Amino acid sequence: MNAFLASPAQVGGWLHVLARTTALLWPQPKGSRNFSFLPLAQGAPVSLDRYRPTVVPPSRHLLPADETLFTYRCEPTGEVRYQPPEAPPRQILAGVRPCDLKGIAQLDAVMADAPADPLYGARRAATAIIGVDCLAPCDSRCFCAATGSLAFRGGADLFLTPLADGVLVEVTSDRGAELLAGAGFAPCGNAAALREQAEADRPVPFGRALAASPAELPAVLRAGYRSPVYGRHGERCFSCGTCNLVCPTCYCFEVRDDLALDGAGGRRSRTWDACMIPAFAEVAGGHNFRPQVGERQRHRLKRKFEYLPDRFGTGPFCVGCGRCGRQCAADIDILVMINEIVAEQGGAA
Amino acid sequence: MSSAQQTADPGLYLPRSARIEAVADLTAREKFFRLTLDRPLGHQPGQFVMVTVPGMGECAISITCGPREDNILEMVIRKAGNLTGVIHGLKAGDTLGVRGPFGRGFDLAEFHGRDVLVVAGGLGLVPLRSLLTPMIADHGRFGRITLITGARTPAETLFREELARWREKDNVEVIEMVDSTAHLPWDGRVGLVTTPIGALGLDAARTTVVLCGPPVMYKFVLLELDRHYHVPAERIFIDLERRMRCGVGKCGHCQINQAYCCQQGPVFRYSELRDFPEALA
Repeated sequence: MNAFLASPAQVGGWLHVLARTTALLWPQPKGSRNFSFLPLAQGAPVSLDRYRPTVVPPSRHLLPADETLFTYRCEPTGEVRYQPPEAPPRQILAGVRPCDLKGIAQLDAVMADAPADPLYGARRAATAIIGVDCLAPCDSRCFCAATGSLAFRGGADLFLTPLADGVLVEVTSDRGAELLAGAGFAPCGNAAALREQAEADRPVPFGRALAASPAELPAVLRAGYRSPVYGRHGERCFSCGTCNLVCPTCYCFEVRDDLALDGAGGRRSRTWDACMIPAFAEVAGGHNFRPQVGERQRHRLKRKFEYLPDRFGTGPFCVGCGRCGRQCAADIDILVMINEIVAEQGGAA
Repeated sequence: MSSAQQTADPGLYLPRSARIEAVADLTAREKFFRLTLDRPLGHQPGQFVMVTVPGMGECAISITCGPREDNILEMVIRKAGNLTGVIHGLKAGDTLGVRGPFGRGFDLAEFHGRDVLVVAGGLGLVPLRSLLTPMIADHGRFGRITLITGARTPAETLFREELARWREKDNVEVIEMVDSTAHLPWDGRVGLVTTPIGALGLDAARTTVVLCGPPVMYKFVLLELDRHYHVPAERIFIDLERRMRCGVGKCGHCQINQAYCCQQGPVFRYSELRDFPEALA
């Protein structure tokens, strides 16, 4: 596919042109030190600099916090009419790094699994993605290289690599080519070499390391099913569910109904849920299938490194972004837990 | 993603309206509902539906009728919370929303020619009635059919008149247990559902076992079966209950280790569950 070279200012100008006609989300500062994927406002600066990972990952823009499943209306005859939601608006998720591209790809796999989720499918189809390469670890929590996400490019329509004297813009889909129409960037004939050079200049090691490869972890976690690590870290856990909510591959949801004020209609929506919350696996009558915090931590870790990788065959569902540990009030870090379990099981298989 | 979108059913989360034809009190907490749908449900025994009260919510409910060619859906609903409380207030002529059927149920053909032991604790009889009804109606195609039901007291027993009719059939034995008579009249037996198992004299090689009941029941029934007979784990079916919010393998609530109960279950072979430590814990 085609590639182009542009200055950071040209890229910023082009993104602002796109943002005039389509909601374009770009990682921007929020509060004193955090970043968030926010609509690019007119005149807002566009920085391609390394940013601290957004608190909420971009994949959550494909699975919104409160998404309408349907609306309904009771007719005077007593009949109830259920109405599917309106088609989602087009959006551009821009400035998405490799770890978050991998997170979106994992959600794609989950939601396309039969029976495919129609709402996610529609939203995903209406979303263009502009990836941006990561050339240095975002902060001390990063371990994307260890989970194999640093090299991930899938799902992006365009991919940007910041270079010393400009930005390499690679077209990776037809939709990407359409986004670039009229941008007027200079064609680039040696894109692969430029990108490889930029990536070769990355620091080594890149971020933290896992004590076993993702391919080895399912067996290690099966063998360590009753590991005391879960309970030991669980002692500090508040069961608040923040680690789930900030995870790029968490997708579990709760369902709720809201009644319209006239009582004759309403909507059903799905809202983010979290398997760390104590009542997540509770059934009518009060029986809870994971009452202990250690059991819930085990469930979370095994979903990321064993259950979902085994089920979908698309690699680890932990992308190494470090968000869960970064946001945890009790400093419970998934990489630290995994490495303790690996050590306890006598190292990698 | 384009292929996923082409195959996605836009109505995956949309209920169909169903009309309540009859409501009957079974116990102080359980009511029986017969609904008419817009088309046959087309379910397997052991499957479930998601039932909607618009504006209130949705919950997973077992199907209690056997497979049918008409548009009827039968359910037994325990009043356990806000939503089921509202459903208990509905009457004939009212409507409910229904999605489904969902999940993996029983394949009746696999029971043909086999002796069958069914152990149903409490509300476990409700889903297993969807299996027993077609089996009893066609009892000549099966070997010896034994049903053990358990309830806390006689006041909590379900479908007693129907069980009495089943008992009249050739090769059908029905053993009704209560934990305690609670000073109520009772013509069944007193004890746990495990009590009669040892004296049944099952032929392990010919027998298929089906279990459904409260979580605490399974390990004791399995221990008792193991003590007296060696029914292969592939021939023991367990119908599990989990919290379900979507019914289609997306919401995550019903996950048992790596299995989604709403997709790979709710009916599992015991041989499958041995890899899932959370299943019978």
